[in-house]
Amino acid sequence: MSNKFGGWAGYVLRVNLTTGLITKETTETYHDYIGGMGIGYKVLWDNHADGIKATDEENRLVISAGPLSGSGAICSARTTITSRNPVIRNHLITDGHFGGHFSPELKFAGYDAIIVEGKSPTPVWLRIEDDKVTLEPADSLWGVGIFDTFATISKLMGQQAQVAAIGPGGENLVAQSTIQTQGGHSAGGHGSVLGSKKLKAIGIIGTGTVDIAESTTNEQLRALDDHILGIIGANNNGVVPNQPQSWAEYSSTTSRWRGGPGVTWGAADTPVILEETPWDDRQKVAMRTSMAESYFGREEANKIFKRPGGCHSCPIRCFCEIKNPKMKTEYKLPTENITNVCLGFLDPWYAMGKPSHGEKRTDIQTVGGYYMDNFGIWSAYGQLSHVMREFTARSFWEILLPADEFAAINWAQYADLDAHFMQDFYTRIAYGASYEGSNILGRTLGRGLHNFINDDGELYHLEDILNEVESPRMAGLTFALESDEHYEFYGKAYSVFLDSHLKVFNRSMVGGVHHASESAGQVGALLNTVFNRDPQCHSHINLINCGLPWAKIAEVAESMWGPGAFDPVKHYTAMNTSKAKFAKWCLVKNVLHDSLTLCNWMFPLLVSPDVEKDYLGDSSIESQMFSLVTGVKTTEQELDDKAETVLQLHRALTVLQMNEPNQRDNHDVLAEWVYDLDSDKAFGDEGTIKMDRDDIQVGLDMFYAEMGWDNATGVPTRATLEKFKLGYVADKLEGLGLLPA
Amino acid sequence: MITRRALLANGAKVAVGTVYYGTLVSFLTGCGSSSDDDTDTDKPIVEVLPGGLMVVNPVMCVGCRRCEIACSWSHGKSAVSPSTARIKVAKNLNFGPHGVQDNYEDQRGEQGDGTIVPSTCRQCDVCMTVCPQEAISINETTGARVVNDSLCVGCGYCADKCPQQVITIDKITRKSLKCDLCEGNPNCAQVCPTGAIKFYTWEDAVAEVELHEKYLALV
Ligand code: SF4
Ligand code: SF4
Repeated sequence: MSNKFGGWAGYVLRVNLTTGLITKETTETYHDYIGGMGIGYKVLWDNHADGIKATDEENRLVISAGPLSGSGAICSARTTITSRNPVIRNHLITDGHFGGHFSPELKFAGYDAIIVEGKSPTPVWLRIEDDKVTLEPADSLWGVGIFDTFATISKLMGQQAQVAAIGPGGENLVAQSTIQTQGGHSAGGHGSVLGSKKLKAIGIIGTGTVDIAESTTNEQLRALDDHILGIIGANNNGVVPNQPQSWAEYSSTTSRWRGGPGVTWGAADTPVILEETPWDDRQKVAMRTSMAESYFGREEANKIFKRPGGCHSCPIRCFCEIKNPKMKTEYKLPTENITNVCLGFLDPWYAMGKPSHGEKRTDIQTVGGYYMDNFGIWSAYGQLSHVMREFTARSFWEILLPADEFAAINWAQYADLDAHFMQDFYTRIAYGASYEGSNILGRTLGRGLHNFINDDGELYHLEDILNEVESPRMAGLTFALESDEHYEFYGKAYSVFLDSHLKVFNRSMVGGVHHASESAGQVGALLNTVFNRDPQCHSHINLINCGLPWAKIAEVAESMWGPGAFDPVKHYTAMNTSKAKFAKWCLVKNVLHDSLTLCNWMFPLLVSPDVEKDYLGDSSIESQMFSLVTGVKTTEQELDDKAETVLQLHRALTVLQMNEPNQRDNHDVLAEWVYDLDSDKAFGDEGTIKMDRDDIQVGLDMFYAEMGWDNATGVPTRATLEKFKLGYVADKLEGLGLLPA
Repeated sequence: MITRRALLANGAKVAVGTVYYGTLVSFLTGCGSSSDDDTDTDKPIVEVLPGGLMVVNPVMCVGCRRCEIACSWSHGKSAVSPSTARIKVAKNLNFGPHGVQDNYEDQRGEQGDGTIVPSTCRQCDVCMTVCPQEAISINETTGARVVNDSLCVGCGYCADKCPQQVITIDKITRKSLKCDLCEGNPNCAQVCPTGAIKFYTWEDAVAEVELHEKYLALV
C-alpha cells in the first residue's frame, strides 16, 4: 500500500497472457495523468507499435480506475477501458467506460489498473483476490453468454465478486462488441480485443480499503457530500422537473428529472407511487431520474418499471430495472428481468424501425436488450441499428445479400414489429461467419461500417470485402426513395456521408452522431471531431439540457466562456471564440471525469435546482473531491491542466497511430449531410441543425488556437506539448516528421 | 402452536425495558429459533432498550451502497470498504441472500429479480453473549450493542456467531467492527437516497423486519 497519498490504491497489475507472467508496478508513474483514461493513454503511448490492428497480439488493453473510485465520492465508480478499436478506421485508440461496482472492487483489491498484454494460447479468465492473482482455464466458459459467465465465476469466487466479461460477440472477434459488468453496464468497442487475447473474464474480490488522506476528516467528507446533494439534479444534471411540480419555479421537457406525480414503480412487489420529488428531499434523490419513462412511455413504464439502478456511490440511479413477464412466457428467455439504460434499450428499437410506445416496443426493447447484452454486442451509439433500419427502409438488403440468405431472414416478423426477430438478428451479429448460411448481414453489421465504404462513402460489394478481394466491386446503390426527392442527390450513388438518417458524423473516423451539432451547434460538432469515436461527452448536455430557461443558461455560459457561447438548440449563430472555449472546456472536463473516474453523465455541475443559489452550481467539486481524497491540495485549474495533459496526449497518439501530420484534413472532417440537410433552409435558420462548411473551418481555427494546436494541421505544437510536460511526446513526433514546424 | 405470523397478528407489542426471549426475539433478530417454546430459556434473549433497529426495505433499495460508504466514513480512519462497513450490501448484491443458485434468474439480487436485500445489525445479544473478553456491552442511551476496542482481541467469535453475518474483524486493527447505531443518529440512514434504510423504534420495526424476512427466503 502506498502511504503517501489517499485515493490511489498504489499498484498497477500487468498481465501478460503470452507468458502467463503477472507483475505489479507502482501507480506513481501515472500520477501526472491522474488515473483511468490517463493511465490507458500513457500505456498505449509507451507501447506504441506502428500499424498494428486492434486484435493483434502486440495491442494492449488497459482497464483502469481513478483516484476517486471506491472512495465513496458521489458517482465515482466508472471504469475506463482503453485500447485500439476495430470499429474505427485505422483501428485508432479509443476509451470506453462502464459503471457498476467493478472499479471500486479493483481498488479494494489494491489496484488502480490492469494492463492486459499478449495473447493466451487457450481461453483463460483472470482471478483477483487481493494479492492472489491467477489465470484460470476458461475452456468451459468459451461460448457462454455474459449472464451465465457472471454466474459461473461468482459461484467459484463468491457472489461478492465483481466480474467483467465478454460474450460470444467478443470471442468471435466481432468488432462491434462490448466488455460488460453486472447490472447492465457495458463499455463499447473492445470486446474483440479481449476475444483475440482469449481472455474471457476478470473476477475480483477486494477485501482491503480505499484509504483517504490522513489529513481529511469524516466530517469534511460528509460536508462535501451534503454540498453536492444540495446542488445535484437528476441524470444529466437536469435541475428542473420534466413536468410541473409545486415546489419548482420551472419545468422543462428537456430535463431528465422525470420522477414526479403520475410515475409509479409499478413492477415493484409493492408498487411505489412517487408523488412530488422536491429538490431538497435528500431521500428522494434516487426517484428523480426514472428514465423508464422516456424509453417505454409512461403507461408502459408504470407497469414494468421495478426500481432504478446504477453505479456504486451514485444517488441518481439512471438505470432501469424492468420486469416484463413476456420475456419468459412468450420469448422463452430464462428471465423476465432486465436492467439497462440508453442504447441498451434504444438500439433494438432503432433496428426495428422505431415503433411508438406500447407493448410491441416494450417487447422489442427488453428482448432485444437481453440478446445484445448476453452476446456482448455494441451499438456504436446506434450506428449498428441505424444501418439496419435505413438499409431495410431503402430495400438495400435485397440487393446486398445473396438471395438464399435474404430469403432465410424473417422479414415478415420484422415488418410486424415482432420482437421474436431480435433473436435471429443479434445472433447473426454475435456469431458472424459461424452462423447459418452466408450471414453477410450479421458479418457486415458486426464489423464496422468503415470497412465497407470508399472515400466517398459509397458501399462496396459486401461479400468482396468480407472475402478480402483485392479490388472489390462497388455495390451500385442509389438514392431512390420518395423522401430523397427534395434533395439534390436523388438518383445519385448512395453514400453514407450524405444520408442524414444514418447519422455518420465524423466522416474520417466513420463515427456516429452523439450530442454533436444536434445538441449544441458548433460546440457539439467540434468536440465530436477530435475524438476517434464519439467522445461520450455530456459536459455540454448537463448545461444545455438542465431545463432552466434559455436566458439563464446563456447567462451561465456567458459568465464561463464569454458572450455568444451558447445558442438555443436548432437556432445557431456563427462561430465565435466563446464557443471554442466552451468546446474545449467540455472535452477537458470529459477527460477529467474519465480519468478520476467520475460520471460525466452527472458532472460537471454548473447549475443547481436551488433558487436560493440563483440556480448556480459549482464547477470545482471535482477538485474539492480530489483534494480531500488524495490529500494533494489541487485547485480546479490545476486539475483541469492535468486533464488537458491527457487530452493533448490523446491527440498526439492519434497523430502517431495514423502516422498523419495533417489532422485537419484527415481526421477532423464532418460528413456531408451535416452541411446539406434541410435543403430548404440555410445555416442559422431557426429549426435546423445544419452546419456551414466555412463556419466549421473558422470553428477549427478558433478551437485549435484554444488548444495550442497548429492551425494548418491541427497537431499540438512543441510549445503546447512542453507546457503539459509532454516534451518526450514532441521529441517522438518530431523524429518522425509529424510535428508542425 | 403459535406461529410467528400469528403472534404478530395477535398484536404483540414490544415494550421498552422488558426482557424478551423465544419466538418474538428470534423473529425480530433472526437469531435462530425454530421452536415456539417460549419457556426455553437457552434461546437468545433481548432486553429492549430505547432506540431501535436499522432495517432496510428491499422494495426501496436501489443498490447504491451509499450506506456502506457512509458507515466506513464515520468510523475511525477514513477508509472506505465493504469490509469495514457495518451494514452489508455487497454480500448479497448480485445473487441475493443465498448466493449463486442454478435458477439465479429467479432469485434475488441484481442478476435475479433485481431485489436487493442489505443486511443490518438487529442489536440482538448473540455477539455480546459469545464474546469471551466481555468486550461487547449495551449502550444504555441508544440500545446499541457496542464493542470496547481496548478489550477486543479480534478472536472473531462474534463475527462467526452473528445471525445476520454483519460483524467483521478489521484486517489491520484486528478489532471487531459492529454497528453502534452512530450514537443514535445512523449515518447510513442519512445518506440513503430513497429512504430504504431507516431507524425504527422497536415497535415499528416489527412490520419492517417481517417484510425483510420475506426477502431472505429462497424464491
Ligand atoms: S448517473 Fe448513471 S452512470 Fe452515472 S454514476 Fe449514476 S448510475 Fe452510474
Ligand atoms: S443507501 Fe439505501 S438504497 Fe443505497 S444500498 Fe444502502 S439501503 Fe440501498
